[in-house]
Amino acid sequence: MSNASVIVSSRTAEQNAAVVTEFFDRYRAHDVDGMVDLCTINADFSYPPFEVWGKQRVLRGDGKVGTVGKPIWTGLINAFPNLSNVVHSVDANDEGDVVVQVDIGGTQQQPWGLVLPAGKTFSEPHIFIFRLNSDGLIESVTGYWNNAGISQQLGHMEVD
Amino acid sequence: MNSRSPQKVVSDFLDDFAVRDIDGALGNTAEDINVSVYGLGRHDTGRGTMRTVLADIVEAFPDLIVTVKRIITAGNVVTTVINVQGTQAAPYAGAINQEKHVDLDEVWRFVVAEDRITQIDAYWCQQQLYRRLGVKRFDQIAIV
Repeated sequence: MSNASVIVSSRTAEQNAAVVTEFFDRYRAHDVDGMVDLCTINADFSYPPFEVWGKQRVLRGDGKVGTVGKPIWTGLINAFPNLSNVVHSVDANDEGDVVVQVDIGGTQQQPWGLVLPAGKTFSEPHIFIFRLNSDGLIESVTGYWNNAGISQQLGHMEVD
Repeated sequence: MNSRSPQKVVSDFLDDFAVRDIDGALGNTAEDINVSVYGLGRHDTGRGTMRTVLADIVEAFPDLIVTVKRIITAGNVVTTVINVQGTQAAPYAGAINQEKHVDLDEVWRFVVAEDRITQIDAYWCQQQLYRRLGVKRFDQIAIV
């Protein structure tokens, strides 16, 4: 029996941070396909604050990057054509975890969820938690923020 | 010198918060801690600020359950994903008490230096919280 050697690529915190920094650079450039390219084909996606309550069901921001994340990012950019972000901190470790504090904002031109466009601008602090695999690809994206702040800045005063 | 790891300092803080021991939790923080609680729009400095944030939660949700779902350590920065559950028993953030149950995922990011938490950034969605508390409008929080 031969001893097969297992090759494990070890990535540094700096390398992991660089991938996520590139992710937000591409988000700022509205390059959604480029964002998805930084993720594994089956990357997990979770936006816990994303809840759209209808009469019979609730749409939640949970699933995969390819099927839930990409439509949300694309929809946001369509609704806020000048959508941008300002990264404030990137904290990474050698195990593939990266945490980012970032302000995301833009001026609404199209409906977003239940919020109708009134030409108003929002900017809201977010925190993202990424998990990268040993190849430097993002295998999970999780984002948290305060939707009440966004709704009120956009002039939408109804909780639902 | 007896020094704890940043993760241990944060775990001790959350353990104390989970059993509603506010003095114990604050014992893990620096006197001049920077506090940002985005859902409440609160940004201030000092242990007194953190005491108010914790005390308001404990008072409004006396059966509070805090579950740590994930801890990520990167140097002296510790990020925790926590789940907070409780049944409202007093007004909170302008919302009157309707005895509603809250179940909310949150992220609290801590910066630790010299065995003390020097910064807390707490992220939760106030819209989710208000939805669970039965609030209908942001400009009429006390009206249900």
